[in-house]
Amino acid sequence: MPVFESTEKMYDVLGTLFNVLASDPVVGPKYRESNIVIKFTITDPDGFIWLDRDAKVICGPADLKPTIEMTLSGDTCHQFWLQSISMPVALAKGRIKAKGPLPKVIKLLPLLKPAYAAYPGIAKKHGLPV
Amino acid sequence: MPYTELNLDLTEEHRLIKREVHDFAVEVLRPASLELDKMSPEDVTRKGSPYWQCMAQAYRNNYHTVLISDEYGGLGLDPLGVHIFWEELSYGSVGFAVSLGCSCFSSFYATLLCDDYLIEKFVLPFVNCKDASVMSCWGITEPAHGSDNLMTGTPFFRDPCACQEVRAVKKRGKWVLNGQKSAWVSNGPIASDAALFVNLDPGMGFAGGGIALVDLNQKGISRGKPLNKMGQRELPQGEIFFDDAVCPDEHMIIDPESYEAITELTLGHANATMGAYFTGVAQAAYDMAMEYSRDRVQGGKPLCQHQMVQSRLFDMFIAIETARAFSRSAMVFNMNTTPPLVQYSIASKVYCTEAAFKVTSEAVQLFGGHGLTKDAPVEKLFRDARAGMIEDGSNDSLSLAAGEMLLREVQ
Ligand SMILES: Cc1cc2nc3c(=O)[nH]c(=O)nc-3n(C[C@H](O)[C@H](O)[C@H](O)COP(=O)(O)OP(=O)(O)OC[C@H]3O[C@@H](n4cnc5c(N)ncnc54)[C@H](O)[C@@H]3O)c2cc1C
Repeated sequence: MPVFESTEKMYDVLGTLFNVLASDPVVGPKYRESNIVIKFTITDPDGFIWLDRDAKVICGPADLKPTIEMTLSGDTCHQFWLQSISMPVALAKGRIKAKGPLPKVIKLLPLLKPAYAAYPGIAKKHGLPV
Repeated sequence: MPYTELNLDLTEEHRLIKREVHDFAVEVLRPASLELDKMSPEDVTRKGSPYWQCMAQAYRNNYHTVLISDEYGGLGLDPLGVHIFWEELSYGSVGFAVSLGCSCFSSFYATLLCDDYLIEKFVLPFVNCKDASVMSCWGITEPAHGSDNLMTGTPFFRDPCACQEVRAVKKRGKWVLNGQKSAWVSNGPIASDAALFVNLDPGMGFAGGGIALVDLNQKGISRGKPLNKMGQRELPQGEIFFDDAVCPDEHMIIDPESYEAITELTLGHANATMGAYFTGVAQAAYDMAMEYSRDRVQGGKPLCQHQMVQSRLFDMFIAIETARAFSRSAMVFNMNTTPPLVQYSIASKVYCTEAAFKVTSEAVQLFGGHGLTKDAPVEKLFRDARAGMIEDGSNDSLSLAAGEMLLREVQ
């Protein structure tokens, strides 16, 4: 049984998380400055989450060209934000597959930090195991 | 005359880096590498030698940070820019290119992990260093384990019959290191830290490894005599001995859970870089041969007017253009794809080092007797290229590992 029981639930949880990230006073402007589009292609449950150039969060299909595309399962996503699996390890083992310039992926990593702090609370509020 | 650029989409930044690094390689690195080639390994590594002068200059140009994100003050080049950078640097001296490539090993891992403590401890001092005193190395090869270390994905890698001999054992919250890395460690005699590939669990064979970022200027670590060798003599290499050296727990960045995957990822990036390095070596030999063949007169006309010589030059040209096209594609693809498809990086390394060997050998042939003398730099390029077929994994054993990867893909 996947951690996210449905695509809607996943959009609810991860959408909230990405909005926290995008509205962070440091991360938001830094992300916009980097001028990139990120696409998360999630499997089990299937769905897409985008962060456009203006740091707007889009849940579902969108007609944008991603700079970086990360493909991962909903469960890996959950573990990743709980920090029970690190990005380099997940990338090296193929649990997260990244398409996009490695230097841009590396540059993105520090921007994710506020989300690690926020995720356990958000997950708990939505009744997910933490 | 510079080679014709077949990529019509090069940006202004690519052109700039190509010109700038090319000039540095030809004006600074090549003359120094020829001088260092004639010196003893001890004199090469001695403070104040041309090696140190050039490395300091490269650091001042920020060339040591080519793989470090601009987030931390690095050059932060895009994948094609990285290829152009390494090819041009190797055009002047592949030994210096390897030394600079290895200098960022610990910092590169630290940026991948993005851990504040490791960034502070390794990345910032490295990026801010302007005299080459902060320098890393890749400590993987051991006297008894060369090819063995790189056979990721094969059943042998997980067989407890053999494993790394540098062992790390946890005692009172710290890792205690014992054993020896081989004389082939590039920057080994002079590096300030190492990305050290150690064994944590012998029961898992090589897969029971870990990666530790180790301060090399501590009690319990000693170095061997700098290695005296055939090619890339400007590159300092030497043994590192560990006798109850210690490493804090936070510096053990990879454990057996992901050791094999990270080793493969490392090999993927290192081998793709080798493709770029040796395209540069081949291009340098070709340019020297072309110039010589226009000057040297035999049979009443310049060598280049003889059809057989033209045919030889054309074969060299094909090998270089193929090497450049393939190694660029492999590097750009794999720097855009994580985890990388390592078989492409290995193919690039094997192809380009063999192309460089063939081209440098043809260049020596074209120079005739003069090509065998110490006055002609092609003789050095030939020796440098020969080392490339063993460096970063011997071509034959890498091909065995890549063959397994091809089968894994279709199974
Ligand atoms: C210029 C240079 C720079 C280097 N830099 C570094 C560095 O920075 N750090 C580091 O740790 N190491 C470094 N190395 C070491 C390098 O990675 C090793 O030399 C290489 O992996 C081969 O190992 P070996 O020399 O022990 O040869 P061996 O493994 O002993 O191999 C000897 C021969 O046997 C063949 N062979 C081995 N296993 C098999 C098999 N299973 N089946 C068939 N044939 C086999 C090999 O292909 C080779 O031809 C460097 C080497 C060179 C030349």
